[in-house]
Amino acid sequence: MTGQRIRNVIMLAISLAFLLAWAFPIFWSVLNSFKTDLDVLAYPPKLTFTPTIAAYRDVLFGSESILPNLVSSIVISVGTTIITMLMAVPAAYALARLRFPGKKFAGFYVLATQMLPPVGIIIPYFLVLRNIGWIDTYQGIILIYLSFSLPFAIWLLVSYFEDIPFEMEEAAYLDGASRLRTLWRIIMPQARGGIAVTIVFVFLNAWNEFLFAVVLSGNTVRPVTVAMFNFVSVEQTLWAKLAAVSVLAMLPVVVLGVVAQKHIVKGLTVGAVKGGGRR
Amino acid sequence: MPFTNGFVGFENYRMLLQDERFWSSLLISLIYTGSTVLLQVVIGLALALLVMNMKRGQGWFRLIAILPVVLSPAVVGMIWRTFMLSPEFGIIDFLSINAGLGSQNWLGDPLLAMVSVIAIHTWQWTPFAFMVLLASLAALPEDIYEAARLDRASAWQRFRRITLPLLRPAIVMVVIMRTMVALTAFAAIFTVTAGGPGTATEILNLYAYRKSFTELSIGYGSALAVALLIATILISGVLFALRRAK
Repeated sequence: MTGQRIRNVIMLAISLAFLLAWAFPIFWSVLNSFKTDLDVLAYPPKLTFTPTIAAYRDVLFGSESILPNLVSSIVISVGTTIITMLMAVPAAYALARLRFPGKKFAGFYVLATQMLPPVGIIIPYFLVLRNIGWIDTYQGIILIYLSFSLPFAIWLLVSYFEDIPFEMEEAAYLDGASRLRTLWRIIMPQARGGIAVTIVFVFLNAWNEFLFAVVLSGNTVRPVTVAMFNFVSVEQTLWAKLAAVSVLAMLPVVVLGVVAQKHIVKGLTVGAVKGGGRR
Repeated sequence: MPFTNGFVGFENYRMLLQDERFWSSLLISLIYTGSTVLLQVVIGLALALLVMNMKRGQGWFRLIAILPVVLSPAVVGMIWRTFMLSPEFGIIDFLSINAGLGSQNWLGDPLLAMVSVIAIHTWQWTPFAFMVLLASLAALPEDIYEAARLDRASAWQRFRRITLPLLRPAIVMVVIMRTMVALTAFAAIFTVTAGGPGTATEILNLYAYRKSFTELSIGYGSALAVALLIATILISGVLFALRRAK
């Protein structure tokens, strides 16, 4: 019995250590964002200090404000999410329900796009956008983001649409409803959970994207993940400001993560069962 | 052939085969992918088994585990590079000093830099493996375990003979998904070491990027990207074959 007890205590200690390890870097960044540079650099690291919001004031309203970058991030992620969903829902419905030549190939193609290494496709993307003058524009970046978010969304939605019993639609058709009306009235409400999962993942991927943003953005449109680099240079690092920017970049996705926790886990497991997925 | 302006045939690929930096970046990619995926699955599975048996507090794990997963790898890399790994006031270095190991040049030493980028990737994505495996564990039928307990099977036997075989599809799927992501990882290394010191943490992905956009050899950079694509296809082919072989 005591052996069992000791083992339980050890297990608890191990699991608590992991909880701490996962939470700490995030917690520490939040703490640092309320410090002065001097307090950030203090040795040994300070847990108690006089909190200040100077870093936030500077990065939001100072001379090197990242507000435009936050706006860029929001426009890109919201724009990508809306356009993706508008196109993915009918496409996924078609793949799940309709019979047409090449359907199997279309399904495979959608999945295959998820496996391409981004660095391989970014060079042609870059050249094409440069030729039509769309580098550093919202339409350019959103267009490229669609190229990976759309297949992903379609692939995820198909699995939810396929689970809806066909009888429900049949009844609607017998009542003389059109296909679009059936999609809107019968399928959409049934697949609400799946649509929510898809929206969450598309938004997260767009907000967090980095490689495409580095190459395709510029001085006009630059998301916060890239703008963050303004605060670390070879000469000096603006410690507290960097912490504040990191927290601002993390805030939307952490809130979304906590609120949509169940949806995210569900999306991950659907992905794990079906195979594939970008993250 | 005037219409194929600057077309060099297979010249880039011939160069690639003789390029030592290509082979070393491929090796670094394989080490990075292999070690991060192994660590994620082993730690994720161990934690999932541990948490599964907890009567209280499972909610905390589910809540905390979601945090690293939703973050941008670029932001994660930046946080680790600065607040965690900086000499002295960085928390990891602070712990190292207090453990009597002394202050280390975490990102300046080739071996430690590699260990650091592997640790950062593992930190961010182990919760993913943990959450998927925990969900799969929770879906396993209860009565098999009852039967095993009645047969006085030890905990290890239950794990080895029941849990592991039943969990195999989920584990293989996690391995496949994480391998794809690790092979094409970019932001978390780019922000932390940018491939350095020298080329110590330069995975193939990063080499292709550097060639194309820093050294502006877009042709050769594309050849490297194609090499990465071929590596990805070969490795995923092997993994999917493994999945089918029951």
